[in-house]
Amino acid sequence: MWTKAGISSTSDSGPDDIVLRLTALGLLLRPMGPWEVRPIILAIAGMSLLLPRVLRASATWYALAGLVAVRIVVDWPLSDNHIYLLAYWCLALALALGTVNGQRILNTSSRLLIGLVFLMAVVWKVALSPDYLDGRFFRVTFITDERFATSALLFGGLTESQLDGNREYLWPLPDGAEILDGPALVEPHAFRIMVALLTWGGVIGEALIAATFLLSLAGWNLAVRHLLLLTFCAVTYALAPVAGFGWLLLTMGLVSCTKEQRLLRGAYISTWLLVLLYSEIPWAEVLKDWLRVV
Amino acid sequence: MHKEERGRAWIPAIVLIAVALTQIVLARTAALSPWKGGGFGMFATTDGMAFRYVRVFVVRPEHSEEEELDIAPSQTDAAARAQLFPSDTMLNRLALAVVKRERRYNRLVSAIRLEVWRTEFTTGSLEATDRPLRVFTLHVDKSRD
Repeated sequence: MWTKAGISSTSDSGPDDIVLRLTALGLLLRPMGPWEVRPIILAIAGMSLLLPRVLRASATWYALAGLVAVRIVVDWPLSDNHIYLLAYWCLALALALGTVNGQRILNTSSRLLIGLVFLMAVVWKVALSPDYLDGRFFRVTFITDERFATSALLFGGLTESQLDGNREYLWPLPDGAEILDGPALVEPHAFRIMVALLTWGGVIGEALIAATFLLSLAGWNLAVRHLLLLTFCAVTYALAPVAGFGWLLLTMGLVSCTKEQRLLRGAYISTWLLVLLYSEIPWAEVLKDWLRVV
Repeated sequence: MHKEERGRAWIPAIVLIAVALTQIVLARTAALSPWKGGGFGMFATTDGMAFRYVRVFVVRPEHSEEEELDIAPSQTDAAARAQLFPSDTMLNRLALAVVKRERRYNRLVSAIRLEVWRTEFTTGSLEATDRPLRVFTLHVDKSRD
């Protein structure tokens, strides 16, 4: 399957090994899908890390794109959005590795994919969702979602009893029912500020990323593109529990860094590792406990 | 960039656009949750898994009243799919799983009625109200009981 014919003989050097390796590493760190595809994905990703010929064979990435697509179909509609992006990304790698100007092709693919992901996210937030821009989404999420509870306590100024009371308040009542002396909704100033910052910061940041990746840029504007994506990932994945999404975006962003841009490459790889740490260390919980002791 | 190279570079993006547009259509017309389906509507709305739920009612022969059932552990996957995308296919799959379980316990079933609900929050006060998204009934062939 992985013959010489499947290995790119490039006029540019093709995508960097580090890009391929980070993609494979992401697949290994977040095993996915039903038993029919999971072991095969893990085996191919593992082999690609161990064997350079497998890593740089377009067949490897076609196979992974196909397997991830199978997972999406079998699990429909349960898969998260970054699994779709992973399938597109593996396809982009496969298409680039099979050609003479792989790096150039992958530059365009990654730029388009990142730009479109953020464009769609903005379209949903601004035009399609009825409860994002008025702050309802983050207000409800920080109160009800256990994964964001520590952040609500730490940055939103809520106490644990206020958070419990708010959860009770948000519990829907049967038609016509009313609770006498039920809990009131408590939203301290800090909570309101946090919600406003995340709501507007999120959508403005995503719109800027979409614009800078979809427009043809040159010179210092390119640095702005990278700075925005790196900042987004460093901030968002500290809170959002989807490290796999962050790793994909960072790996795709890394594609357009030249070998001479060592600082930028270092920033991408460091942020990739930072997202890994976010996902493995309950940093907000640790910080909350530390502040309590201080 | 040559035409062929441009084509290769654009193929993944074209697939993304096609899937995302399909997802918007399904979310608008068939109650697919914006969080799912490849349209990148996650973290944009409360209309996700956490605020949708399914109610299962069983009608038994010679019983005039419906009986509400809990979702059994073996049905959680089918229920999650029906919650996120309450299409006929997903609801039928869940209803059949319920029938299968009832028969395993030798309980007679003449129909299964499923309701998919969504919790919504008002703008200022965040008052929660439930709204039905879909109601689905599966009539069970009595000859198979």
